[in-house]
Amino acid sequence: VSLTRRQFGCALCGLAPLLLTKGARGQGGSGASFLTPGYRPPAESDEKGLWSMMDREERRFQESRFVVREPALNSYVRDVVCRLGKDYCQDVRVYIVRTPHFNASMAPNGMMQVWTGLLLRCNDEAQLAAIVGHEMGHYLRRHTVERWRDVRDKAAASAVLGLGLTVAGAGSLSVLTDLALTASIFAFNRDQEREADDIGLELMVKAGYTPLGAPEVWEQLLAEAKAGTAERASSFLFATHPEPEERLDALREKTKRDEARTGERGRDRYQASLAGVRKQLVQDELALRQYGRSEVVFERLLAQTPDDGLLWYAKGEVYRLRGGEGDAERAMNAYGTAIETTGAPPETYRSIVLVELKRGERERAQKAFERYLELRPEASDAGGLRMILKQ
Amino acid sequence: MTRLSIILFFAALLAGCVTPYAIVNPERQTVGDVISVQPGMMWNKLGYSGFEGNVEVWTIDGPQLNTLVFFTGVRDGEPLFTRRTANPEQQEKPPVFRASMNPLEVQELLEATVARFFQTTLAQGRNLNPETVADGQGFRFETRLVGRDEVERVGIFVGTIRNKRLYGAWFQGARLHYFKRYEPEFDRLVKSAKLVGEAAK
Repeated sequence: VSLTRRQFGCALCGLAPLLLTKGARGQGGSGASFLTPGYRPPAESDEKGLWSMMDREERRFQESRFVVREPALNSYVRDVVCRLGKDYCQDVRVYIVRTPHFNASMAPNGMMQVWTGLLLRCNDEAQLAAIVGHEMGHYLRRHTVERWRDVRDKAAASAVLGLGLTVAGAGSLSVLTDLALTASIFAFNRDQEREADDIGLELMVKAGYTPLGAPEVWEQLLAEAKAGTAERASSFLFATHPEPEERLDALREKTKRDEARTGERGRDRYQASLAGVRKQLVQDELALRQYGRSEVVFERLLAQTPDDGLLWYAKGEVYRLRGGEGDAERAMNAYGTAIETTGAPPETYRSIVLVELKRGERERAQKAFERYLELRPEASDAGGLRMILKQ
Repeated sequence: MTRLSIILFFAALLAGCVTPYAIVNPERQTVGDVISVQPGMMWNKLGYSGFEGNVEVWTIDGPQLNTLVFFTGVRDGEPLFTRRTANPEQQEKPPVFRASMNPLEVQELLEATVARFFQTTLAQGRNLNPETVADGQGFRFETRLVGRDEVERVGIFVGTIRNKRLYGAWFQGARLHYFKRYEPEFDRLVKSAKLVGEAAK
């Protein structure tokens, strides 16, 4: 048995405790109340064992090469968490994880993960707050603890299922990876998702954000999913969040009130905070080669910022890499707009070289190559480009 | 469930998980009926590698430490490799090789394939250069990847496109020791490579 990416992704959907298969039952019940700020589970409780395991995993995670370290971005996301969580601020540690899929999670010990695919897709701070608020909802109601207790006995099977992984680097060396298997089987139930949505909306309003960010995010994800059936099947969020259309309707209904339409969006602040990593996020999205989905994402972001050269470059890359009929022209049009606007990366010219060579326009390719080297004299792929230009 | 049925269940499960190896002796070998190479030392051929596609996988120290993936004629429209899975219908559509690709595009394709296979955002190719492969025009580039086990692996891909098919070999291993130690062996192996059978026509 090997892990699909879908399963791996699910590991981080706030279901991390599922692998813990031993522990005393029936202690520290979650009840219906919110978690107390500064809460620690009582010693000898089953929940304490769960926390210890998550603490160990978090220590390992702190060294991960997949964690984005940029101080400004980390500080910014943490500020959003604290603005929503207020009294719980000191209980939450945020980790931004370089994974090009839409997801966030919250472990019961306060370890929050925000994936970079989510950051790429949000239009503004209100949308980010919608997801963070939702995860805070799961945390405050201790849903993961509830789910863990529900499935504890079944979880032993997942350890067996993980035995078949033999591929170097893709194997099951991390508990977080193993959790994927279980997470794909056991998602939060509908009531828990609804409750987390409600708490998230309440936190957003109290923090001064427009709660409209919540239905907007779902709407965007559904549009992405509709760009391809296969792509939807592999969506992490839809794997663990049932009935997306129904949830979108419910969120729209809950945010219909006039007073809900006021509140801050924090758009400029959001864009400025992401500036240092956006190119990387775009490249990670492109590496997935999910052309339909990426096209929807970049077009939607371009609708917000039509003068963004990086996004035009990204759109061009979708077409170049897809390589279908008419895609060379589409790519060149997008690169052309990228160059005319602001923020196009030097790689735009590298891509023009590749497309022009495909079209047999060697002179144009050579000119684009020279421009690329002017902008990026230290380009590590200059030798490779020279090689293909000579062929 | 009786004790016997439980034992049988786990035995069956483990049987499906075992990775059978076949010894590859240091004598001329034909890989996938199309590539002939002369190893200078003993290798192990993996019966179950997790790689799916027109590939054959060898290792010296075990797949966690180093692997040599032979590409035995990837056709236009085929992926370089995918991950073997019990639920292929749930896999995202993989990027595919096009016969019209130039070496830089093959490098991009390997990057994307590796990123998907190893579930990583840390996969790069670099230093693309021409290389004589199987008595003809080919290319070589370096790779670097960090998988979910956080181990840094480096490697070299050498390939050639003949008759609209991609033939090649990608040797990669843990940056500390397990790649560097066998890099000369890989170079020797590449120099000895010939296309045979259908690929030589």
